[in-house]
Amino acid sequence: MSIIEVENLKYRYPDLTDLVLDDLSFSVEKGECLGIVGENTAGKSTLCYALAGLIPHFYKGAYGGQVTVNGLVVREHEIADIVENIGLVFENPFSQMTGAKKTVYEEVAFGLENLGLDRNEMHRRIEQYLKLLDVFSVKDKNPFDLSGGQMQRVAIASVLAMEPDVLILDEPTSQLDPQGSSEVFEVIEQLTQRGMTIILVEHKMEQIAQYADRVLLLHGGKQVALDTPEEIFSRPDLKGFGVTPPVVTNIAKALNVRYPDSELFPVTIKEFKRLEELK
Amino acid sequence: MNTFELKDIAFSYSPAIQIFDGLDLVFDSRTTAIVGQNGAGKTTLVKLMKGLLKPSSGTLLIDSESIDKQTAAQLSKRVGLVFQNPNDQIFKTNVLEEVMFGPLNIGMSRSEAEKAAREALQKVDLESKEEDNPYDLSLSERKLIALASILAMDTEMVIFDEPTMGQDFAGKEKIKAIIEELQAEGKLVLCILHDMDFAAEIFERTVVINQGEIILDGQTRDVFSKKEILEKAYLDQPYVTQIAHALGYSESFIHESELIAFLNKSN
Amino acid sequence: MNTMTLYVEKDSPVHRLDPLVKLLYVVASIALTYILPEPLFIAGVLFVTLLLLVIGKVFRNSLPILTLSMFLIFSLVIVQGFFHPDNVTELFSIGPLVFYEEGLYVALVLVLRVLVMIGSFSVLILTTSPDEMVERLIKKGMSPRIGHVILSVLQLIPQMRATTSKITDAQRSRGMETEGSMLTRIKAFFPLMGPVVLNSLNETKERSIALEMRGFGSSTKKTFLNEEKQYPYNKLLAGIIIGIVILGIVWRVMA
Repeated sequence: MSIIEVENLKYRYPDLTDLVLDDLSFSVEKGECLGIVGENTAGKSTLCYALAGLIPHFYKGAYGGQVTVNGLVVREHEIADIVENIGLVFENPFSQMTGAKKTVYEEVAFGLENLGLDRNEMHRRIEQYLKLLDVFSVKDKNPFDLSGGQMQRVAIASVLAMEPDVLILDEPTSQLDPQGSSEVFEVIEQLTQRGMTIILVEHKMEQIAQYADRVLLLHGGKQVALDTPEEIFSRPDLKGFGVTPPVVTNIAKALNVRYPDSELFPVTIKEFKRLEELK
Repeated sequence: MNTFELKDIAFSYSPAIQIFDGLDLVFDSRTTAIVGQNGAGKTTLVKLMKGLLKPSSGTLLIDSESIDKQTAAQLSKRVGLVFQNPNDQIFKTNVLEEVMFGPLNIGMSRSEAEKAAREALQKVDLESKEEDNPYDLSLSERKLIALASILAMDTEMVIFDEPTMGQDFAGKEKIKAIIEELQAEGKLVLCILHDMDFAAEIFERTVVINQGEIILDGQTRDVFSKKEILEKAYLDQPYVTQIAHALGYSESFIHESELIAFLNKSN
Repeated sequence: MNTMTLYVEKDSPVHRLDPLVKLLYVVASIALTYILPEPLFIAGVLFVTLLLLVIGKVFRNSLPILTLSMFLIFSLVIVQGFFHPDNVTELFSIGPLVFYEEGLYVALVLVLRVLVMIGSFSVLILTTSPDEMVERLIKKGMSPRIGHVILSVLQLIPQMRATTSKITDAQRSRGMETEGSMLTRIKAFFPLMGPVVLNSLNETKERSIALEMRGFGSSTKKTFLNEEKQYPYNKLLAGIIIGIVILGIVWRVMA
């Protein structure tokens, strides 16, 4: 059984007339990194909320179809029960800090207190994840005194400490500077290597190409395609969907540097170089 | 406007942290990108230029005339700044009124302001939303409204603070077109950017700031070829530059088209 | 230091008190101003309150709030001084405006009461870290959701303070004058307050979602990272405060 199963998912925000999610059906396998791409109105964030249970529990509106995470039908369980299965990291690091905790250490504890864990377990997890996210050195600092990149890593640590099986990251680097961005992508790299199931929404196509096993292309709430990065980025009709492939793929397309006996173009610099040298 | 000069500028937020010390910088007709990490001083620089902050020493000059005595509101007639977060400035319940706010403040008549606002909305493709409430629009649309509200003021210089943050492909193309149009109109354009590829694509000149100091300043092509210096500021080269480098070419490339043409020729 | 609350982090005897005791003080001090509505008694409660602010080393931090309420106080004085129905005895006059003793007496009581309210709330809010207070209340059985609401409200003012400077910059950049005549400043109010409030609401909403995803609102029994904090003289102080209130009631009934 797949770790996430989406069946005919439809959704419309209250007071709006158009469907933001229009009949989506796909599954995500354990340990997979799924990239989600599409233009700004495609419904990417809305899909993240639906996977995490915020839709329909926090955002009401018209909901159709089914989302199952780890065997739990999202619609039938409270968010508080879902969070141990699936975690969500948002775009803005600042608004993910509770504002109720004086130190980074206590900030990470917040979710664990809500789960009712005993103190020893809390300490164990907090230390583990602070170290994993490389923010152990700032554990006694006030969360709001951190840089954007550090704050986002604390947000990720706080969610990971709840030990969900799936982590969704909704444009996690969009508000960060280049250094902050690369810090977060290093974390994603580590997590994928450890076998974490990840769903990554990004506009930075080079990173999607590097980390995603498969890519879901959304447009106007509809599922256009779900395939490998090479398949998706090699499509000639991407512009029509408001998406542009990695720079290296554009160049490969213009120079017709492709995989032997295939319509597919490389999506990373490493692959481009390899194929270029083959010629 | 021909030049905007910062001469021997010193500034600090508190006695302990000196941001700038002896900063010299002249902006001219070349479209200029300013890059650097958060905290490097880019935003402070721009605030000093807009009169929102006053330097502890040094002078600011427009066309060799000092502007030290002018208030931010007075300067806003000549220098426009598009802020990062549209929610930090939008307060009217009507898009047209919102875009007219700036023009009215700097002394345009109501009819002049209305005309300027409409033209600006056309430039960002949102003239159909004139009557809407800005907060009924999406965040990307609101960013364009904020942009329009500065364009409507028709300033001689326009500064953008992270215009491409969170934008998708279509949004970036729109901004690119606007910058090119502004340059064609003879305005001075300055852009704070984290997006190296966007900087490489359209800006003639790039200034790299690191911890309050200018570590690189010149033709975009030359600046982005200096890998080691960029690395010290924790900055990457644009992807086009990286690709050329990976393929073993020593020349500096910053446009996709030129690399493609070059590789075609070598084949 | 970048804090999102009004809490002033210092070490003082008042800081070390149990938040619940301080909360009790707020209720008790305001109650006393109603139980014994004579200026002398209220002034006494006010004196104790101000003393607590001084001992708590937060007196200076309370001044902005106190001065803000001056407007309210001033209008109270005017309204009561003139228009109180019992006004008979003329005290003094400024030009055509006549101030009466009865009205001014009522005004004095009201002013002192307002000062006590602001003062005692300041004692609570300036010397208590919000999470400590909410944690204490939750441990006593309050719903975590109400705790979150309290935290959001307490964060609202500093949050707005932080965004106000950003917004002022943006509007000044569009030619809005902020310095100068009173009229100028008043005209500047709406371009500032609109975005400030909207931004705060937006951020509060984003934060709520983030908290939901951290299990907030779970029906599971909450545990606490930190050991149960020991508060000195807890019961004794609570007892004294309640005792004084009872004394006040007795006095009133006897008089």
